Amino acid sequence: MKTLTQWSKNGMKQVFTWGVIVLFLILFPLFAATEHTLNLLVFLFITIVLAQSWNILGGYAGQISLGNAAFFGIGALAFHFIAWRVGVSLFLALLASGISAVGLASFIGIPALRLKGVYFAIGTLALAEALRITIGNLFPRTVYIPTAYITSYRLVDRYYLALAVTLITQIVATVIVRSRTGLGIMAIRDDEEAADTTGVNLFKYKYLALVTSSFFSGLAGGVFAYYQISILPAFLFGPQWTFEPLVAASVGGSGTLLGPIIGSVFLIILMELFALTLGKGYLIIFGGLFVLVVLFLPGGLMEASKKIRKAFSINKPIP
Amino acid sequence: MIQIIVYGVITGAFYGLAAVGLSLVFGVMKHLNIAHGSFLMIGGFVSFWLFHLFKIDPFVSIPLAMIILFVLGGVLYKGLFSHLDKLPEGLKINNSMLVGFGLTWILDNLAILFWTSDVRAVTPSYTGKVWNPLTGLRIPIVGLGVIGIALLVIFSLYLLLTKTYFGKSVRGTAQDRDAASLVGINVERTYLVFFALGAALAGIAGVVSAVNYSVHPTVGFEWLLKAIIILVLAGFGKVGPVFVAGLLLGIVEGISVYFVGTTYREVVGLVIFILVMLKRSM
Amino acid sequence: MLEVNEIDVYRGDIRVLWSVSLKVEEGTITALLGSNAAGKTSLLMSISGLIKPMRGSIRFNGMEITKEPAHRIVEIGMSMVPEGRRLFPEMSVLENLELGAFLKKARNAKDRAIEEIYEIFPILKSRATQMAGTLSGGEQQMLAIGRALMSRPKLLLIDELSLGLAPLVLQHIAEIIKEINVSRGLTIFIVEQNALMTLEMAQFGYLIENGRIVGSGETNSLLQNEQIKNAYFGI
Repeated sequence: MKTLTQWSKNGMKQVFTWGVIVLFLILFPLFAATEHTLNLLVFLFITIVLAQSWNILGGYAGQISLGNAAFFGIGALAFHFIAWRVGVSLFLALLASGISAVGLASFIGIPALRLKGVYFAIGTLALAEALRITIGNLFPRTVYIPTAYITSYRLVDRYYLALAVTLITQIVATVIVRSRTGLGIMAIRDDEEAADTTGVNLFKYKYLALVTSSFFSGLAGGVFAYYQISILPAFLFGPQWTFEPLVAASVGGSGTLLGPIIGSVFLIILMELFALTLGKGYLIIFGGLFVLVVLFLPGGLMEASKKIRKAFSINKPIP
Repeated sequence: MIQIIVYGVITGAFYGLAAVGLSLVFGVMKHLNIAHGSFLMIGGFVSFWLFHLFKIDPFVSIPLAMIILFVLGGVLYKGLFSHLDKLPEGLKINNSMLVGFGLTWILDNLAILFWTSDVRAVTPSYTGKVWNPLTGLRIPIVGLGVIGIALLVIFSLYLLLTKTYFGKSVRGTAQDRDAASLVGINVERTYLVFFALGAALAGIAGVVSAVNYSVHPTVGFEWLLKAIIILVLAGFGKVGPVFVAGLLLGIVEGISVYFVGTTYREVVGLVIFILVMLKRSM
Repeated sequence: MLEVNEIDVYRGDIRVLWSVSLKVEEGTITALLGSNAAGKTSLLMSISGLIKPMRGSIRFNGMEITKEPAHRIVEIGMSMVPEGRRLFPEMSVLENLELGAFLKKARNAKDRAIEEIYEIFPILKSRATQMAGTLSGGEQQMLAIGRALMSRPKLLLIDELSLGLAPLVLQHIAEIIKEINVSRGLTIFIVEQNALMTLEMAQFGYLIENGRIVGSGETNSLLQNEQIKNAYFGI
C-alpha cells in the first residue's frame, strides 16, 4: 500500500485531474449532450471496459485471450433474461451478468489455462466462435426489451450506468495492479518460469486475472443489454467484441492503466471521423496503427508519449 | 453414406489447400500468419474479377492469382513480418499472430471499400454439373476440380521440397538456421521467398473457394479458423499430414452433419479442435 | 590469410572478447586453445559471420569481412564446422552434403565433391541415405567436416572437434585433417580444449583465457613451455 510520502504532489495532482474529468462526465448530459454524443459515449465506455478487461489478462498477465466476446455475450444474455424476463432490480441483474461471465470463465478457464501462449489464444478464439454458433442456433431470432420497458427507456440512465461501470472497472483495475496480486500477475507475464521457481502460484494468479477480466467483460455485456432495445443473440458473441477492444488496448498501451482508455478514445474518434466518409475505413487506419505498435512500439501510445516527454526533458538545463 | 464421404473428401481436399500455406510457413519460419485468410480472400476476388470481366475460367486463373499473391506476400513480408525475425520463438509466434490480425483488418476492410461486402461466386458453365459414376453417387464436377488441384499442389510441393535445391535449403533452414547460413544459404531471402510462396498457396485456395463456395471480404476469417484447426491437428511443416487432417476433418464433419444437422457443422470442428489441444497439453 | 585485429565481441550485453588479435597463415594448421567459456566459440562465430564484432576488423586475404553475413563468408571462401556439428538432423547424409554445396559455383562440381568426401570418409558412403540425426558422434563429426568441405573453402574453421568423441575416433579424424591439410593445401584454423592433440596437429598456436589472447607461438615451443604444460596438461 502506498505510504503517505508516496502520495506526493504528483499523486494529488492525478486525483485532482481525474476528479475534474469525472465531474465533467457526470455533468455532461445535463448541459451539452445530444442523443448522438450520448450514444457515442456509451459505446466508448463499453469499449473502455472491454479494453481494460482484456488488458488485465493480456497486458498484465501476458495471457493473450481472443475469446472475450464469449464473456461479453454471456453477460449480455444473462442481463437480458434476468432483468427483463425475471424482472429484478438493475443492480442485481448487472451483478448477475458479471457472475455468469465468471462462471463461464471458470468452467472453460480451468482447462484452458493449461494451454500456453498462442494455443491459449486460438483455444479461446475457438471457444468464442463455438459459443457464437451454438447460441445463434439456439436463439436465432432477435430478442426485444419488453414493451413496458421500451416506453420508459431513457438514454441518460444508460449513460450513467455505463459511466459508473467504467469508473468501477478502472478503480478495481488500478487497485489490483498496484497490489501484491498485481505483482504476482505481472511476474507471470515477464517470465513464467522464473515466477514459478520463486514460488508464485501460476495457476492461482492466472485464474485471478481471468476472473477479473471476465467479470468486467460480463458487466460490459450487461450494460450493452441494458442499452440496446433489441439484440440478435449471436451478434453478442461476434469477434468484433474481442478484437476492437484488444487493438484499442494495444495501441493505447497494453500493460498500462491508461492505455486502454487512450486507445479506446482514439478508436471512437477515428470511427466518428470516418463515419460519413469511408464507413468501416477507420478500421484500416487502426489496423495499421496496431501493426506498427506490435512491430515497433510495444508500449503503444503510452510508450510513445513517455519517449516524447523524455526527449523534451533532456533539453532542460541541469540546475 | 458413400455420398457423404465423397462430399467429405471434396471438403477435406479444400481444407488441406487452405491450410497448407499456413502450415508450411509456420513450420519453417515460426510465423503464424493470420492474414493467410485474407490472402485467400484476395485470391478468390482475383479469380472472380478475371471471370466476370474477361470470362477466364477460374482454374485457368490460378497461375495469375498465384503471381499476384506471391508479390503481395513478398512485399508484406519484407515490410512487416521480417522485423520479427530476430525475436525468440514464443514472442515471434505471438507477435506474428498479432501482426496478422492487424493486417487482416487492413486487407479485409480495403476489400470492402473496393469491392463492397456483397457475396460473389464464380460460376463457370460446369457449375452444378455432376458426374454419375454409379447409381446414387453424385460427384460435382467442380468437386473433381478441387481434388485435382489438391493433388497437383501436393505433388508439386513434394517435388519442390525434396528434389530442388531451393526446397532442400528451406528444409535445412527450418531444421537449423545457423547451419543453413554456414553452408551459404541466405536465410533472410529464403524466408522471404517461402513466405511469398505461402501467400501464393493461399491464392490457389482462394480461387478454388470462389468456385466451390463463394467469396466476400470477410470470408478469410472463416477459412482461417479451419486452417488453424488443421494446423493444430496435423502438426506443421509437412505437406502430407495437412491434407490427411483436412480429409479427416471434412469427412467427420460430413458424417456429423448427418446426425446433428448442418447448423452445428462448424461447432463440430471447433470442439474437436479444443479437445485435441487440451489432450495434447496434458 | 586470415587476420583478426583487436576485435571486441559482445553476446547480448556481456563482453566476451577483449581486443583479440591473431593471424592464420596460408597453408598452415593454426590452433586456438582455451578452456570452456574462454571465448573460443564466440571468436569463431565472429569470423564466420554469425555474430558481428563491436569493434576491430577481420580480413580475409586482405579483404575486409568484419560485417559480412554468414552466407557471404562462405562465398568468400571460409567454411566452418560448428560446435556440436549442427547437422540438418532430419535430412539424409547425402542431403546434408548436397546442401554443403549450396553455393552456385559449388553445385556444378557437386557430384565429384561428394565422391571425394566418400573417399576421405568411407563410412559416410555406406550411410548415405540415413538421417543425419541417427548417426553416431564420430560419424556426425565426419559428416560435418565433409559438409563444410563441399563448398571448396580456402580456409576451414573447426570449432571443438573433440567434443563428445571417443579418443580413438578423435585420433582417426585428427589424422584425416592433417592429411587434408597436406594433400589439398587447405588452411585450417581449429579451436579446441584438447590441448595435446591440437598442438600435435598444428604448426602455430594461440592461447585464449577469459576472452583475451594470453600467448602464441610455434607449437613446438608451446609444447616445451613449462607454464603451458602446467596449465593445459596438468604435468
